[in-house]
Amino acid sequence: MSMTEGPRPLRTSKSEQQTEASEAVGRLPGTSADVPRRGGMGGWSDRWREMPRQKQWLILIPVVILAFFLPLMNIPFITTEPGNDWPLACQAMAIFALVAVGLNIVIGYAGLLDLGYIAFFAVGSYTAAMLTSPDSAFIKIPYLWTIPVAIAVSMFVGVLLGLPTLRLRGDYLAIVTLGFGEIVRILATLIPAMKGQPGFQNVGHPPGTGPDGIPVFANSNGTPWYWLTLGILIVLLFLVGNMERSRVGRAWIAIREDEDAAETMGVPTFKYKVWAFALGAGVGGMAGALMGGQVGFVNNQKFDVVTSILFVAAVVMGGSGNKVGAIVGGALVAYIPLRFTAIAEYKFLIFGIALILIMIYRPQGLIPAKQRLLAYGTKAYAAVRARFSGKGANPSGTGGTGTGGTGKSAPPAPKPNAEGATS
Amino acid sequence: MTLLELNNISVHYGRIQAIHDMSFTVEEGEIVSLIGANGAGKTTTMKTISGLLNPSAGSIKFMGEDITKMKAHIRVVQGISQAPEGRGIFPAMTVLENLDMGTFGRKDRTGVPEDLERVFTLFPRLKEREKQFGGTMSGGEQQMLAIGRALMSRPKLLLLDEPSMGLAPQFIRQIFKIVTEINGQGTTVLLVEQNANQALARAHRAFVLETGAITHSGTGKELLANPAIKEAYLGVG
Ligand SMILES: Nc1ncnc2c1ncn2[C@@H]1O[C@H](COP(=O)(O)OP(=O)(O)O)[C@@H](O)[C@H]1O
Ligand SMILES: [Mg+2]
Repeated sequence: MSMTEGPRPLRTSKSEQQTEASEAVGRLPGTSADVPRRGGMGGWSDRWREMPRQKQWLILIPVVILAFFLPLMNIPFITTEPGNDWPLACQAMAIFALVAVGLNIVIGYAGLLDLGYIAFFAVGSYTAAMLTSPDSAFIKIPYLWTIPVAIAVSMFVGVLLGLPTLRLRGDYLAIVTLGFGEIVRILATLIPAMKGQPGFQNVGHPPGTGPDGIPVFANSNGTPWYWLTLGILIVLLFLVGNMERSRVGRAWIAIREDEDAAETMGVPTFKYKVWAFALGAGVGGMAGALMGGQVGFVNNQKFDVVTSILFVAAVVMGGSGNKVGAIVGGALVAYIPLRFTAIAEYKFLIFGIALILIMIYRPQGLIPAKQRLLAYGTKAYAAVRARFSGKGANPSGTGGTGTGGTGKSAPPAPKPNAEGATS
Repeated sequence: MTLLELNNISVHYGRIQAIHDMSFTVEEGEIVSLIGANGAGKTTTMKTISGLLNPSAGSIKFMGEDITKMKAHIRVVQGISQAPEGRGIFPAMTVLENLDMGTFGRKDRTGVPEDLERVFTLFPRLKEREKQFGGTMSGGEQQMLAIGRALMSRPKLLLLDEPSMGLAPQFIRQIFKIVTEINGQGTTVLLVEQNANQALARAHRAFVLETGAITHSGTGKELLANPAIKEAYLGVG
């Protein structure tokens, strides 16, 4: 029983969260908190949050267009060439960003320190490989179909691994998850159908052949792969953004903040933790399938614990709990060793030092986690207010602020529930 | 009517037994205080009632129904709400968001505005600070928030675990006054305290807990007058 009472992950940053939070309210009337502003990004996210939707779009659309043109723009100093092909580097960055956004659901929202996320990435890669590679004895399906299959399979594995382990908390959970990656790797070695080190060659890719007879999605052709991955990433961001604001998102944040308190508020914490785990796993599996297809080769050598830790580093560096931060963190973790090939060998040392420095000087990550409240903060406030003022059934005001946001309007039917004996 | 009934409850942490064969009842409409020194098992008792801990033996009944095996998040829906020791508010959520979390398990949304009004009337400070982040509030304000949040589920039984802990004297008095007020509005309260004086003065009935077992019981007044308790808990020689 004492096993379940361990300290929770990421708690160390709690006092920081509070300073960060007090920053946000420093300007409110009647607040005496005078914490020095940490400047930079913090102000940015504040301003972003307060912007009207249309203005946000005006900024978002050019950013997205720019992102799509990225592999075509070989900008001096920024490019990874001549050492590494630039479009392929872009694809690697997009994959890592995807991974980080997925892992951010688990670590950033629900507060579950999963050190074995690579397992789901591996499951996705193997799913794509075993269903498309000529080396596999399985039935073959078109590559693009392996993406939803990979999501489903890795979600299933996520539930399978989550059910027995998510009763553990904090450090205990972290240690157990560390084993997940190894489990998949060892299974890949032991199970003949997974072909150990020889692995699977010629993993499938999306259809289409260029005028020169070479497939559009050739292994060495980074740009179309990047576009595919980026497209998926954008769709994912919309889904995750909506989830953040939903009942599920609030439950996750409550669990991260204080699991026992969440439970006593009526949050079925275990169920929501399994959901976070499964959804995160699904994203990881999808990224794995994309990676497997692009590289074209999958074997048991690629999914090591160290890479798994790199995934965590991406989330924490970017700003745990913040999807934009996760993208930046993921992209950076992929980019730095590709750009600075001379130091690529030392990448773990460098990321280690970078993490320590960030934890000292910017414990909330590069883009402060406060932005996670972006969704839950001001806009949700209007929604909460609207809900409190009685869903329009009660014409008492703030309901019409536009953001009303609560899709599910519970009919105000009189519930025969013998409510509180308030005599 | 008996609202809550503990029958021969034992609770273990691993091999350590924190509660020994404990039985007591809480009647509807009462304030019942549980007093005891540090480590006596007060918090363990509260967590067992709210469902965060499972007893190793015994049974718990709520409104006549056996809830021993019921999960904590379902007990809230049934009407047991806890303001935990150390407040347990969500620091990165605003006051309003914290209060909103208190309604998470509620089936009826229609009563929510009314309950919010009630909480804001009890704690005008929370209304003033509704946009402030929970983590940046003072200890007393956080305690108010914890109680207010617990009330947002419109509980039949409110569990308060050391609401006066670490608070300045004027806050302590205020909190106790509000406990009586909440009770006056029809909510049954089970109050855990080390601040025995106030807790006994406010209680209809009370129990003294020592190393996981009840050693004294009676009305609040009886226990206040009991010389042994005076000496041990009330700082009177
Ligand atoms: N998580 C835990 N693991 C092991 N022992 C615990 C745990 N929590 C409390 N205890 C022990 O159980 C006993 C009762 O603790 P508690 O209920 O917190 O006391 P109180 O709230 O009255 O101060 C103490 O001896 C304490 O050390
Ligand atoms: Mg205690």
